[in-house]
Amino acid sequence: MKTDPVAPLRTSPLNATLAKLTTQWLTINQMRVAANIGTPAEERDKLQSVALADLSHLKRCGLKGPGAEAWLKSAGIEPPAGINQWAPLGNCSLIARLATSEFLIEDNVGQDYADRIRLQLGRGVPGVTPVLRQDAEIAVTGPRINELLLQTCSFNFAALDLPARPIVMTSMIGISVLVIPGTWRDAPFYQIWCDGTYAIYLWEHLIEIAEEIGGGAVGLAALFPDTKLEP
Amino acid sequence: MSGRLPIVPGEWIDRNQPIEFTFEGQRYSGFAGDTISSALHAAGVRAMGRSFKYHRLRGIVSMANHDVNTMMQIGEKLNLRADVTPLENGMNAMAINTRGGLRADRLAIMDKLSRFLPVGFYYKAFHTPKSFFPKWERTIRNTSGLGEIKFDAPRIKTPKRYDFCDVLIIGAGPSGLSAAITAADADAKVVVVDENPQPGGSLTYQRGVDSYVDNALEELLGAVRLRPSIRLMLATEAAGYYGDHWVPLVDKDKITKMRARSVIVATGAFDQPAVFRNNDLPGVMLASAAQRLIYRYGVKPFDSVVVLATNTEGYRAALDFHRHGIIVTALIDLRARGEGSEFAARVQKAGIKVLNGFCIYEAIGNRVKDHVQAVMVCPISLKGEPQTHAAQTISCDGMAMSVGFTPALNLLYQAGMKTRYDQTIEQFVPAGLPAGVFAAGRANGIFSIQSKIRDGERAGLEAARYLGLGAPVGPVIVPAETSSPTHPYPIIDHPKGKNFVDFDEDIQVKDFVNAAQEGFDNIELMKRYTTVGMGPSQGKHSNMNAIRILAKITGKPIQEIGTTTARPFFHPVPLSHLAGRSFYPERVTPIHDRHAALNAKFMQAGVWLRPEYYQVNGKSKDEAVREEVRAVRQSLGLIDVGTLGKLEVYGEDAAEFLERIYTGRFANLKVGMTRYALMCDESGVIIDDGVVARLAEQHFYFTTTTTGSATVYRELTRLIAMWRLNVGIVNVTGHYAAVNLAGPKSREVLQLLADFDVSDTAFPYLGAREGNVGGIAARLMRVGFVGELGYEIHVPAEYGASLWDLLMEAGKRFGVRPFGVEAQRLLRLEKGHVIIGQDTDGLTTPFEAASGFAVKMEKPFFIGQRSLKIIQAKPLRQTLVAFVLDKSHTGPAAKECHLIIDGEDMAGRVTSVAMSEALDQIIGLAYVTPALAKVGEKIHIRIDGGAMVEATIVKLPFYDPDGARQKISPTPEAQIAT
Repeated sequence: MKTDPVAPLRTSPLNATLAKLTTQWLTINQMRVAANIGTPAEERDKLQSVALADLSHLKRCGLKGPGAEAWLKSAGIEPPAGINQWAPLGNCSLIARLATSEFLIEDNVGQDYADRIRLQLGRGVPGVTPVLRQDAEIAVTGPRINELLLQTCSFNFAALDLPARPIVMTSMIGISVLVIPGTWRDAPFYQIWCDGTYAIYLWEHLIEIAEEIGGGAVGLAALFPDTKLEP
Repeated sequence: MSGRLPIVPGEWIDRNQPIEFTFEGQRYSGFAGDTISSALHAAGVRAMGRSFKYHRLRGIVSMANHDVNTMMQIGEKLNLRADVTPLENGMNAMAINTRGGLRADRLAIMDKLSRFLPVGFYYKAFHTPKSFFPKWERTIRNTSGLGEIKFDAPRIKTPKRYDFCDVLIIGAGPSGLSAAITAADADAKVVVVDENPQPGGSLTYQRGVDSYVDNALEELLGAVRLRPSIRLMLATEAAGYYGDHWVPLVDKDKITKMRARSVIVATGAFDQPAVFRNNDLPGVMLASAAQRLIYRYGVKPFDSVVVLATNTEGYRAALDFHRHGIIVTALIDLRARGEGSEFAARVQKAGIKVLNGFCIYEAIGNRVKDHVQAVMVCPISLKGEPQTHAAQTISCDGMAMSVGFTPALNLLYQAGMKTRYDQTIEQFVPAGLPAGVFAAGRANGIFSIQSKIRDGERAGLEAARYLGLGAPVGPVIVPAETSSPTHPYPIIDHPKGKNFVDFDEDIQVKDFVNAAQEGFDNIELMKRYTTVGMGPSQGKHSNMNAIRILAKITGKPIQEIGTTTARPFFHPVPLSHLAGRSFYPERVTPIHDRHAALNAKFMQAGVWLRPEYYQVNGKSKDEAVREEVRAVRQSLGLIDVGTLGKLEVYGEDAAEFLERIYTGRFANLKVGMTRYALMCDESGVIIDDGVVARLAEQHFYFTTTTTGSATVYRELTRLIAMWRLNVGIVNVTGHYAAVNLAGPKSREVLQLLADFDVSDTAFPYLGAREGNVGGIAARLMRVGFVGELGYEIHVPAEYGASLWDLLMEAGKRFGVRPFGVEAQRLLRLEKGHVIIGQDTDGLTTPFEAASGFAVKMEKPFFIGQRSLKIIQAKPLRQTLVAFVLDKSHTGPAAKECHLIIDGEDMAGRVTSVAMSEALDQIIGLAYVTPALAKVGEKIHIRIDGGAMVEATIVKLPFYDPDGARQKISPTPEAQIAT
């Protein structure tokens, strides 16, 4: 089934909590997105400590099964060779290998890998099962990111070899998360995916801790000041 | 009276920062860096607390976090140890465990009654007559206890934190610091943790007028500062050791869970008290405590002191006292030969009188026993017997003891270390450490300062080598100790007792003798009978002496006596630290904020928050629920069922897989239809249920119970792998939002939004369809859980809120009401639908739960089938029935879990019960014995208070028995399922 072009707007799993904070909104990928949270000065201060932003508007799809890797290659997508690794798909889209035969594809704004794969796959093909991905996605950045992680997760992110493009599937404050650690504009930049039904619980605890160490929530415009956000 | 010394090099206090505080209502002042005890001692206060049992005045003993008789209450914070609690401006400290204050404690009478209160007295004294026991129990509970819990104390949120390092070194003394330097030089990331606010350990107070000590501290700290890979975590306790080098580190604000790759325990040793009469008088303290007062806090501990020594440290302490203007009246050495080191000569040179082969027979207090004023000494025989005929009294205002040490091995015991008793140093030492765990310094039986530093180097190298770091080097040789720092039996008996072994619980030497006579003559039994080591200090200065006493009583070697178990935590940890932040995962559906906006009252359903009902101003909960039920029955209701587990399976074996995991048939389910599904475990017990929809020949979408999805998904994944079926399974519980649009008007509303035909013909009862609803791609199942025409609509989670809005808007003209779990429970009860977990328990089979219709025993296989065949051949144990109370019933209602009584016997229990407005009577489900399970039979329910209520068994369902309202026009498929 395909949703009509006239469908209502999508809603982020974090919408209810962001609605209390957001000072300016954008619409990206048919989803209302926080462009700014607080004043520019406040957002700059948070970015100097640890800042969190909602990236749930990014489109994604999943697939799994013994034939998934070969099928992706036949569809023109080269998945990462190693388990728990990710690979770029161009213009900041990515494909992540979550297990031997499970994959997540996420598009940057304006890209259409995920939509294309989802439509091609339909109800699946022999050996390949489509996976609906309605995750919440949270971006975390700033020099004090490690302090936030140490207070929420027992995994030692500081020991990771980032050039190897690792993926971490772990538990954060009691819920399962998928984390891709990286850098953005010379600062640590982590993407955290979780089941959308846990998103508010995760977000509000992360924000509480971030605020204690001088950070907090920011909008996308603060996170990506040099990027044209709306396609 | 003693006071402050002139500035002492290296002191921890800042004399430029005075601090005002009160103790027992009196105003005092101290300095930043002081502890409560050091400031009070500087102000001339000797008695700072009362003992636990006999309420004797007590003062400083260790200044090392073991002074459990000087615990304070400061506001809502209780049992703060004054010897280590930093002084803060405005503190109002009160001694705990008093009635009427420290000086006027009414329970001081307990000391006079002590001969009637030996250990274990309460085990014997209060059992007869039996009826008095509760009174005695209350009295003892009211009399004993430490501190006062303030129930209005604010909730303190403390962080939880994880941390990581290559080498964790516990103890920042000479061996710990040298281990850190060595490990860091081998490229290890090192964390050194110490409970003191400054590093250096014994180097900061056991100076002994020794320039080597002063220089060693400077050199070690300088080397640490030069190495950025060493992190010092001060004022932080290593509270325990757990598997895989996991050590909780407790500081003022939080617990840090440190995961180290290797651990070096350089925790030093506990200075041990001597045991003699009145060894608990304020002013009698460990020599190390007096040295701490001098060197850390610039406090003169005494004006004149008698030193009891059996080791070099005691002689060094005497020299320290002499250097700081304290008159050392005498040095009493239990050893006949006295001290063999150079320090004996230095003491002689300082003009200090030394009495070799003497003991302290008793300490003598002033009239109110708030400080020592003299000691009685006498020669001691080689067998350890005091020769009282030659006793003499020496005046003093303080007494310092240095008779030996016991290594702080608690964490190593927790790590699984084995020990042996080393008679050359009279202490237990490590003899077999787990992989990756190392001991250094005094904890390892090494005492001289040079050797401790060398031993630290050895441990640092070994830890690095264990981690594969650093270049290979030869072994580091640490010379063995040449003399014992610990006396084998520093315990002097006295006919009048009050020679305390355990200050926490006021246990005297005679208590051990009594315990042994009672038959409690092994260390674990003796511990429990006497309670030695069970107080707040956990035996840190009593266990070793207790072991020595027991060894003497039983005539066994100490190795054979053994030690007691050392459990976490090393020191008490505040409950707020243990609680940390409240990380209790909470799940909400994509429509949650809509419910909140509609004034929903939420309830917990597993980890989910669900609307119990929607609150209406001016109406009670019952009224609001009744209105919700009425809306569904008469027009239209909408409920969020997004908490249901949602799974889908794909593949050529998908139907076969469902045949195996569910009790019903699914291979013959037509595409576009749904069927009720019941899941059992291998023993035939119901574990889950749901609805299976066949969306394509090889594609099924099915629901599970709200709390069951994760468990069911895990189990199904395991079964697919085990059976090697060609099935792909996906758990989409959180990825789909779902609502149930229910009521006679539901079809009309749905048709307004759907882009496909929802007529009864096109979308029959139990049908499943995929189509757009309000432009949103949706999966729909026409089900009748609440007994009305209804549609479950599932959409991707990101459209859940929009779908809800569209349906609420479209349903406005029919007076749509959102309804919650309470209304849903009543609606389904009227239909007699079972809720797994409420109407079933961990033993219920489908045959008992009136669910036999969903079990197809003729299938080749399904999980639980073999057990159900056996169960089927036996008489039923119980069966689920419907019951009603008479319409005239007006008394208290029956409740869930009330018992069914048949004569004198329990014959079952109520599982669901509610007032049905549609039937105008109370209805319910209950398990009863098969003999009672006949329509028309009267059963008796014992309700709260013991009264009996009569009910009548009726046929299910209560409401719409033909199912006409939900089916409209029954289809063959529907008939198969039901």
